[in-house]
Amino acid sequence: MTDVAERREPEQAVPLAALFTAFLAVSLCGVGGGGGVVWARRIAVEKRRWLTEREFADVVSLCQFMPGPNIAGIAVCVGAKMRGTIGTIAAVSGFLVIPWVIGLSVGLVFLEYAHLTVLRNILGGIAAAAAGLLIATGIRLLLPHRRRPAALLFAVLAFGLITFAKLPLLAVLFGLVPLSIAIAGIEKARAR
Amino acid sequence: MSDPSAPLALTAHLALVSSISFGGFPTVLPDVHNFVVTRHGWMTDQDFANIFAIAQSIPGPNMILMMSFVGWKVWGFPGAVASAFATFGPPCTIYFASYRLWDRFRDAPWQQIARFGLVPVVMGLVIASGTVMARAADTSWPAVAVTTAAAVITLATRLSPMWMLLLGGALGGLGRL
Repeated sequence: MTDVAERREPEQAVPLAALFTAFLAVSLCGVGGGGGVVWARRIAVEKRRWLTEREFADVVSLCQFMPGPNIAGIAVCVGAKMRGTIGTIAAVSGFLVIPWVIGLSVGLVFLEYAHLTVLRNILGGIAAAAAGLLIATGIRLLLPHRRRPAALLFAVLAFGLITFAKLPLLAVLFGLVPLSIAIAGIEKARAR
Repeated sequence: MSDPSAPLALTAHLALVSSISFGGFPTVLPDVHNFVVTRHGWMTDQDFANIFAIAQSIPGPNMILMMSFVGWKVWGFPGAVASAFATFGPPCTIYFASYRLWDRFRDAPWQQIARFGLVPVVMGLVIASGTVMARAADTSWPAVAVTTAAAVITLATRLSPMWMLLLGGALGGLGRL
């Protein structure tokens, strides 16, 4: 509630076109895993000043523990915050429509020539690097929880059950998450 | 594509997994891989790895694009559109509904507890996804080195991921992997 008092002036309605172009830029700049958050923050917080740092951190946390493509979730939430339902539609359209058409066209040309040895080798190299980026992103987002032994235990369990035991995702998710939340709840109760 | 119900099965499956893809779509990649390659044989391991590499190296909503390529392989353009909607439709609806709730219960203790419980499991799943993709991509020791280097550099520096993708692509193109 303090955020309201800090605000310099009453909120003016953000133009829908501005929401559209902002998330178009986020989408086109965010190449590779995780790049989107950087650009969403840069544009929504620093350049346009639509959200404070704290509000943006809230949105990212919310999106992190909801299913789906997280950056699309940021578009949904920022759009909803600025202009309600119509704002969400503008932000999500900006994020998706043009980048989807461009990405699909470029990607299909690539796929068409995927049998060529050179292109195949290039893509193989990119896939190897991309796998490393994904592993690093998981580790990086886990770092804030490294002081909680239970958190590390559940991360290792989830990793092992998928990688080595090859259990289906649903089984791992619905088997581990309730346990993990229960233990987090007990920890919190004890800390009081 | 021999089975006419294939597009429907794929779309329904993507709509299901996108609704449970906590932590983003990478967490469900092993499941999608299992569904389209192992169970249904709609594409080869090589196809799936190619699609992953392309989706990671072009700008835009890369996981939605990746699922669109999978849809394209199964059912052409309509498949690509259906897969895109199945991938972002259910999550965006959930995001919108939960944003409203979130604002109301911003300071509730259960929110922090849920986050503390969920995040470690989700991150374990993300790391597992990277490992599954590495298994498909790393066919040689130099490729393993590229994966390891990309992970270490990302953790140790603030270098743009683009450089790692470019380096991997360049080494691959020169036939060094």
